[in-house]
Parts: sequence; C-alpha cells; structure tokens
Amino acid sequence: MTEVLAHRSRALTPEETEELLRDRLGDHVQRAVVEYGLFTLWIAPEGWLAAARHCRDERLLAYDMFDSLLGVDAREEGFDVVAILYSTSTGNRLALRTRCPGGRDAPVLDSITEIYRGADWMERETYDMFGVEFAGHPSLTPRILTVDNFEGWPLRKDFHLAARVAKPWPGVAEPVELDEDGNKIERERSIGDAPGPYELDKAMAAQAQQVNAPPAPEVEEPEAAAVTEAAEAAGDDGAAAAADDTPADAAGTAGDRRKQQAEARAAKARERAEKAKARAAAKAAAEGGEAAPPAESAAAATQPAADAPEPASAPEPAPEATAEPAAEAPAPEEAEEAEEAEGDVDPRVAARRKRQAEARAKRAAARAGKTDGGDGAAAAEEATAEPAEPAAAAAEAAPAPEATAEPAEEAPAPEPAAEAPAPEEAEEAEGDVDPRVAARRKRQAEARARRAKARQERADAEGDEEGDA
Amino acid sequence: MDQVELPKPVKYVFNWGRKYSLWCYNFGLACCAIEFIAASASRHDFIRHGVIPFAHGPRQADLLVVSGTLTDKMAPAVKRLYEEMPEPKYTISFGSCANCGGPYWDSYSVTKGVDQIIPIDVYVPGCPPRPEALLDGVMALQDRIQNESLKDRIAGRRMDPVTLGADTPLALGESS
Repeated sequence: MTEVLAHRSRALTPEETEELLRDRLGDHVQRAVVEYGLFTLWIAPEGWLAAARHCRDERLLAYDMFDSLLGVDAREEGFDVVAILYSTSTGNRLALRTRCPGGRDAPVLDSITEIYRGADWMERETYDMFGVEFAGHPSLTPRILTVDNFEGWPLRKDFHLAARVAKPWPGVAEPVELDEDGNKIERERSIGDAPGPYELDKAMAAQAQQVNAPPAPEVEEPEAAAVTEAAEAAGDDGAAAAADDTPADAAGTAGDRRKQQAEARAAKARERAEKAKARAAAKAAAEGGEAAPPAESAAAATQPAADAPEPASAPEPAPEATAEPAAEAPAPEEAEEAEEAEGDVDPRVAARRKRQAEARAKRAAARAGKTDGGDGAAAAEEATAEPAEPAAAAAEAAPAPEATAEPAEEAPAPEPAAEAPAPEEAEEAEGDVDPRVAARRKRQAEARARRAKARQERADAEGDEEGDA
Repeated sequence: MDQVELPKPVKYVFNWGRKYSLWCYNFGLACCAIEFIAASASRHDFIRHGVIPFAHGPRQADLLVVSGTLTDKMAPAVKRLYEEMPEPKYTISFGSCANCGGPYWDSYSVTKGVDQIIPIDVYVPGCPPRPEALLDGVMALQDRIQNESLKDRIAGRRMDPVTLGADTPLALGESS
C-alpha cells in the first residue's frame, strides 16, 4: 500500500505537515496546536476521512501506523474524537481531532476503518463509552466493553453512577486522618521524618533533624495514631518484659488485640525475669554478699528509679553513688522530688510523663542488653548504669575504687527490675506520644545507653588494671 | 445417599480425604491473582495443605478461587465455569473486589461481589490479601469440609459462608 519514501532524516516538521495537509485538504484543516505534547490537527468532520487517507498515503507523511482512537466529552458542544497516528519511517506522531456533528444527542462521525483496520475496535470502544456512532463501521455491536444490555454512556460527563446516587462518595477531598473520637489528626512534617531503610539514611536523617532542630513541642494530643508504630517499636526492641498484674488497658483506648500481644510478651518477659533472678541468686550466693533482693521487690524499688533520668535531677554526691545499693537508694527520693516538682502539673500529664520515662528506661535497657550479645549480667550492668546515670556520672567525676571495681555486684538484682514493669506501660506510654517525639526520645535513650556503656567499659578497664596491680 | 448420614468413622475418613485433595481452579482477574500465585509458589506453597493448583479445567476442579475484580462483562464466564465444575465444589472469594466490589463499589461495570452470581464458601478480605490470608481461607474451608454432612450437601443445603476476620481480627502482622 504505502510506498515508503519518508525517512527520519527527512521527516516533516509540524509546520510543514500542517502546510502540506492544508494544501491537500483546504479549509478542512481548522487549526494546528500542540496538546499534551502532541502535535494536533483540528479537522472539520467532513474532511475526517480524507485527512486520514492523506496522512497515510502522502509519501512525505507516511503515517502508516494507527496508534489509537478515543473520545472526549466536550460538554455542551458535543464530543470530540481523536485519532493518533504514528509513522514508523519518520518517527513522527500526529493527532487528528475533530468535533462530531450531531451535538450531544446523536454524535456521528465517519469511520476510518477502511483506511486503518486497527480503528475497528477503538471505534467500538468509543461507541460503548461515549455513544458516538461511526458511519461505515462494520458493526458497532455486540458491545465490546460493556454488557450488551447496558444503558447509558459511562464516560459521558452526565452519566450518573447508580451507586453514587444511592450512596454518596464517602471520601474527603484531602487525605486527613481521624482519631477514634473523630478529631482530625494534624501532623506537621519535618525534615528527617521518614528516613530510608538503610543505616546511612537514618544517620543522615538524624543529622538533618539535629541541624534543623524542631522546637520540640510537647505534642500530647495525637494519641491513637502512634499506637501501632509504638507497638512495633516496642516489638523491635525485643523488649522485655511485663508483670501481667498490671492491667494492659489502663488507657482504655487499647484494643483486645494489643492486650493479647502484651500478654504474650509478658509471658516471655516473665521467663527471662526468672532466669535473671536465678542468675542473680547464684551470683549473690557465690559472692557471699548480701542476698539479692527478690525480683518483685527490686522491681518495686527500681521502678521509681527508672523515673530518675527524666526530670533532670541534681547529680548525687559521689560517695553515695559509689556504694552498691546507692544506685537504688537515691532514686526514689529523686522520683519524689520530681513528683513534687510536678505537683502543680495536671496529674494526667504527670502520669503520662512518668510512663514515658519508664518506657524510655526500659527501651534503653533492652537495647543495652542487645548490644551486649545478650549476656545477662553485662546487660544488667548497663541497665543499671542507664537509669542511674547521674550517679554514674558522679562516680566518674570522683572515681571511688568501690564503684569502679564492682559494677558487677550491683548488676544482677536490678536486671529483672529494669525489665519487669515494662512493656504494657511502655506501650501505652508510647501510644500517647507523637511518633516523631517518640523517635527522638528513642534516639536520646540510645545515646544515653551508649554513653553509659562507654563509661562502663572505661570503668571495667580501670578495674582490670587495679586487679592486675 | 441424600437420605441417610454416613456412619461417623466413614464420614470422617471420607471428609478427611476430600479436604486434602482440593484441585483448585484459579479465576485470576486482577492483582489478587498474583497473590494467589505467590501462595502456590515455593515460599507459601499451599500444596503442603493439600491444595493442588492449576487444575486442568473446571471439570477437573473441586475448588474455585475467584481472585480479582469481576466485571459484569466477565460475570457470565465465571458463572459458566462454576457450573461446569462437578459437585461437590467449593468457592473462595479472594480479595475485596471479589467480595463486594472493593474500591470499585461505585463503578458502572464492576460486579459488586462474586456472590451475586455464585455461592461462596469463604470470603478472604484484603486489597490484595496476603498469601497467608489465602492459606487461612483454605484452612477455614478445610475445616468446614471436615465437618460437612454429605447428606446435607447432596440435598443442596449449604453451610453459611465464612468471612475471615469477621468475628476475630486476623492474626496477621503479629509482632513478636
């Protein structure tokens, strides 16, 4: 059919194409525009067939490939039909566009199936969707897209979706999240919110966040939103531990499922706590020192201790810190002080802060345990080192031999303590916090744990030296 | 056969045998079919549960899994396929589109649920559901086959369909 003389090197520009077709078709070419990056010739409907034929048969044009054909709803002016042609020899693409005569009521257009056989199904589809009749088409029925008895033309703008009539669109214009009470959750995104999956990404995000230091708002409001994430985070920490006599649902917002998870974790934690207890007892027996307090009482004792680092309390005097029980002893006082300091605060807020602090302490402990390859005693050392940070700092400032030489002694007992009261409260506490804040706190806790570990190692080294001496 | 119940031990063995040889015909219509394929492939591998994928045709199949968006145009094909299957036959509706039309609830062309044309035994929700969810659905189906009364089945009395996750939340995504 087409004798191809066209070549890419001699492809006509859009202007030349328009000129050529104007020469052949006269006034049938109405205008030439570039629509959506595609050179488009508006053709009068009478010249539709002739335009297609010239596009295919002109040696210089050689649009030998029919690409697609589609309808456009032009509102009250009726319907447009667009045919997109491609020339395999010149690489040009061209759209022919016309407005069907007949308006909205009976749009009719000549079929170009006799020129391009590929237009057959395209025209059937256009008929199905827009109701444009193609004169000269072999057969527009049976319907190609819709069922045969379908009524209406679904892509017309005035087509009513029956389902939408029965039930309005339930969506909203902007993607917003609602919490359980139906309040809108608004979150400001800030730099470093969504780090990539790799360590480097996280490091960069952390750096960016540090540089762009957000004003650290005490975001207390979006509560429910953080639940899942927080729960995951708690899971990630491999976390430890819960005494299951604490009701999992104190906040009242958590569902049964979370409760179950918490219980499962609690069971695991209990196992670990018991193991730790056994270790502690063994150790205490071996050293012949004072008996390690039972885990429960230790838990009771250290639970306030976990509060200590949160309100920035004054560092304890060195001598107290060095003594073995000191790590526990000063803590309740601090906690009391902290509570007194918070006396004028809303008790709910105070309680929440307390829970957060506990959660942090627990996370840090768990992390420390992980970094240490799961060695129970060592983990415990770090766990204690973390909550008793001020004390440790003091110990460093005035290195007393007892403190540096015997960190292992204070280790075993508080380990279950650090773990025992944790995850349910932790989960809820985290549930209360905005995820960003939670993430930041987590990082801080990690940093603290690292510092504590470093300090501990130094202390160990010194202890070894002394031992050698 | 439709008058008397099988003796209990026979019934047990009979149903046990049936539930672990489900020749499965996948009517894959959309993205859910990919999840179905994943469930049949090596990682999830539902052959270990006695589900045999890719029956040679509907006439050789016991289980029809409709996974994906069913359109009105396609609906007669599903209906015919289902009717070609020999009794006893079971169906799983896999994914939101097959369950109820899913995101295309207001479409002009999408069938609002496969259950409009064929009876469904198990609904697996999700968009698309994980392969594990299909395994869950298969388990639910096997449970009901094990407890099935052939007498009722032949008399055309079907049990109510199972909808996964309707009573208890799905145990997916459990963090450990």
